[in-house]
Amino acid sequence: MRVIALIAWREYLDNVRTKAFWLTILIIPLILLGMYFLQSALSRATPVRHFIAIDQSGRYEEAVSIAVEREHQRLILTDFVEYLIENRRETNLEASPANATNAANQLIDDVDANEVAALDEWLDSGGLNFALAMATPYLKENIQPFEQPDPPFVAVEPPAELDLDASPERIIEALRPYLSGEQTIQTESGSVDLFALILIPETVDDGIIRPGDLPAAAGSAAGVQYWARNLTDVRLPDAVQAGINAEIREKEYQQRGVDTQTVRDVQRTRMTLNPLDPTAAAGEEAVSLADTFRQFAPIAFVYLMFVSLTQNVQYLLSNTVEEKSNRIIEVLLASVTSNELMMGKLLGIGLAGLTTIGTWLLSFFVFIVMYDSAQTDLIGEVLEVILGSDLIPWFVFYYFSGYALYSGLFLAVGSLCNTLKEAQAMMTPMIVFQIVPLAMMAFVVMDPNNGLVRALSWFPLFTPYLMMNRAAANPPVVDVVGTTALLLVSIVLMLWLSGKIFRLGVLRTGQPPRVRELWRLLTATA
Amino acid sequence: MTESVLDLDRVVKTYGDFKAIDNISLSIPKGSIYGFLGPNGAGKTTTIRTILEIIKPSSGNITILGSDSALDVRDRIGYLPEEKGLYKTMTAWSVIQYFAMLKGLDRSSAKNRAWAMLEKYGLKDFGNARIESLSKGMGQKVQVLAAVAHEPELVILDEPFSGLDPVNQTVLEELIRDMARNGQTIVFSTHVMQHAERLCDQILLIARGRKVFDGTVAEACATIPRRVLLETAADISSIIQLPGVVSVDRDTESSSERADGDTGLWLIEIEEKVNPQDVLRHCFDHQIALSRFEFSEPSLHDVFMHLVGEQAREHSFR
Repeated sequence: MRVIALIAWREYLDNVRTKAFWLTILIIPLILLGMYFLQSALSRATPVRHFIAIDQSGRYEEAVSIAVEREHQRLILTDFVEYLIENRRETNLEASPANATNAANQLIDDVDANEVAALDEWLDSGGLNFALAMATPYLKENIQPFEQPDPPFVAVEPPAELDLDASPERIIEALRPYLSGEQTIQTESGSVDLFALILIPETVDDGIIRPGDLPAAAGSAAGVQYWARNLTDVRLPDAVQAGINAEIREKEYQQRGVDTQTVRDVQRTRMTLNPLDPTAAAGEEAVSLADTFRQFAPIAFVYLMFVSLTQNVQYLLSNTVEEKSNRIIEVLLASVTSNELMMGKLLGIGLAGLTTIGTWLLSFFVFIVMYDSAQTDLIGEVLEVILGSDLIPWFVFYYFSGYALYSGLFLAVGSLCNTLKEAQAMMTPMIVFQIVPLAMMAFVVMDPNNGLVRALSWFPLFTPYLMMNRAAANPPVVDVVGTTALLLVSIVLMLWLSGKIFRLGVLRTGQPPRVRELWRLLTATA
Repeated sequence: MTESVLDLDRVVKTYGDFKAIDNISLSIPKGSIYGFLGPNGAGKTTTIRTILEIIKPSSGNITILGSDSALDVRDRIGYLPEEKGLYKTMTAWSVIQYFAMLKGLDRSSAKNRAWAMLEKYGLKDFGNARIESLSKGMGQKVQVLAAVAHEPELVILDEPFSGLDPVNQTVLEELIRDMARNGQTIVFSTHVMQHAERLCDQILLIARGRKVFDGTVAEACATIPRRVLLETAADISSIIQLPGVVSVDRDTESSSERADGDTGLWLIEIEEKVNPQDVLRHCFDHQIALSRFEFSEPSLHDVFMHLVGEQAREHSFR
């Protein structure tokens, strides 16, 4: 035991002293930080876009400006809800229903779903000022006042020399230098880049498509023309299209004698849908946000397991190959038994893996404590839900069993190879085994007790991943007991076998053995 | 009879049809320096690995330090394998400390021992250097020290001299003698006969897994006849009648290049009890004019060439 501890400690220190170890430890928190700051920096950095709208038909100018204003209000609304979440007095995830019936979240949902009426409701009820007044009692004291975001799109006047009644082709010709960025547009607040031109020709209504019509041929100039170099920012064309569609539908209603107010009211009528959990106790069937997290938590665990196990077993493999090619192994084997050596290695490198996971979790906490905001609050609560869930014992069990199984396998492979190159070639099929359950991860969460998933769970190399994946969905007892028993048996078998291969393999030189030779080695009494 | 620390009794190790060790028996007395000699591929390393139970014999018994299993007494054994290697990123002193600790020493005495040995054998300045920064010879010295830092009763060194320069070979010989004086038993394998000749109380000569000779160096030398080399133009056939002369042969190999025209080189083998002066006196008495008379005691090298030379040569062309 003393010897195992000694070997484990040396392996641990050896691993911890490598640059690769620190890289792995630091990379995850760094990516996390980077993603967070990049995202918030980017959302603030999106510039105000300037566009020209020319309506030769005279029918849609208002619709376009309303659409643009809506886009602004939408931004205000989203920011405001975020502000609300960040500054409300208490956040109790258990109490906030998953279907977000509270008014603000509903509003965001509606806006995101492009519901025509949603923004109108917001504007009708007094917009931001009213919302602020309503929300104040629920907000913490001494907070920063809400800062209204700038409008994302601003209409500018066309250059004075432009003849607005000229043919669309000539207008485009005249504005091309501005659109291509060669020239800037003069406005009251200085010269700006022209982001887009919305050109509504006289004959725009020819572009209206009704049920039964064939779609317009590609490249046809019928309908509204949207000219812009940047075709990835689709917020403006989407808003304009939605606005004009609302306008023509309104006219259509009138022509067909339908009362538009009735239509609006109908559109704003909705049914609530309550997700309920049949396995929960009476009175607690309502599915909370925390429950949803809990269902998805296995994915986080599976992923954590995969990253950590892959790192560990690869280290184990390269370490064994190195020791073998350095011939250190022979000195060691004169001092310790091959089983002690193997157990020491497994323990030491497993410990290093736990250090990695521990450091990651710690860095999450530090990150959350240091950057207290709406998003990090959420991460913190997710973390709390996960750490407080009954999945932890599962994770610990499957982590260790997965580690024992895979490391036994990789140790045996490592002991048969003389160079890292050889080892990597033999390792590829092993990695594939790990990829299979990983690729199924999202599917398994949605349908955890599916027949195929149940069947695959019985394959010991998949068991830790798949059963972890299914842990939140109360898998049938026979699956839990059966796969666990099979897993434990295979671990014992694997460690025994790899101990044997290890003892025979480490002193071998030359090519890795052929399958037949391997079989002979295993069945030999040596 | 002296106490023995290692006994092999009809040990056999086979790999399929190949016999790596073929029925070897030996006994090594406590406190002696014992050499395993043999050509490449003779089975020295396999024998050593079998003794240490790194591999198990196919049949036969091994008793080491009074135990059936080397693993039970492994803390009392020190081992330097043939192919040398150490953890590259560890420092010299911590490697010695680590291996001493694996052998049961506690942390602080292992550390003290490491530094004491580094100082005694001229590596003090490199104690804090990483193994990868040391030269091959220095690394090997560190490994020898790591193998013996726990002051084992039985030290087994496989080819300890290979890769060392003459100065460090002397340092290693000194270390081996120090350990023997300390009452430790040392077994080492080599194919450099001079080391064995200078150090060993006893040797084992093996070839193709089989024991060819086992005994003291003097006994080994006695196994081949002593030789007298004569150069003369006269007829010396009468020498064969002298008591104790085994054979008189023309040394054809040397004569073609060295003897001129009418003189010839003769090789006379004599028994151990015979005084070579008798041969010289016979020549004077019979007016045999000698242009050369050479007598030399056979060296271990001659013994080696005599006993296993043919096999070693064959092996190298296999």
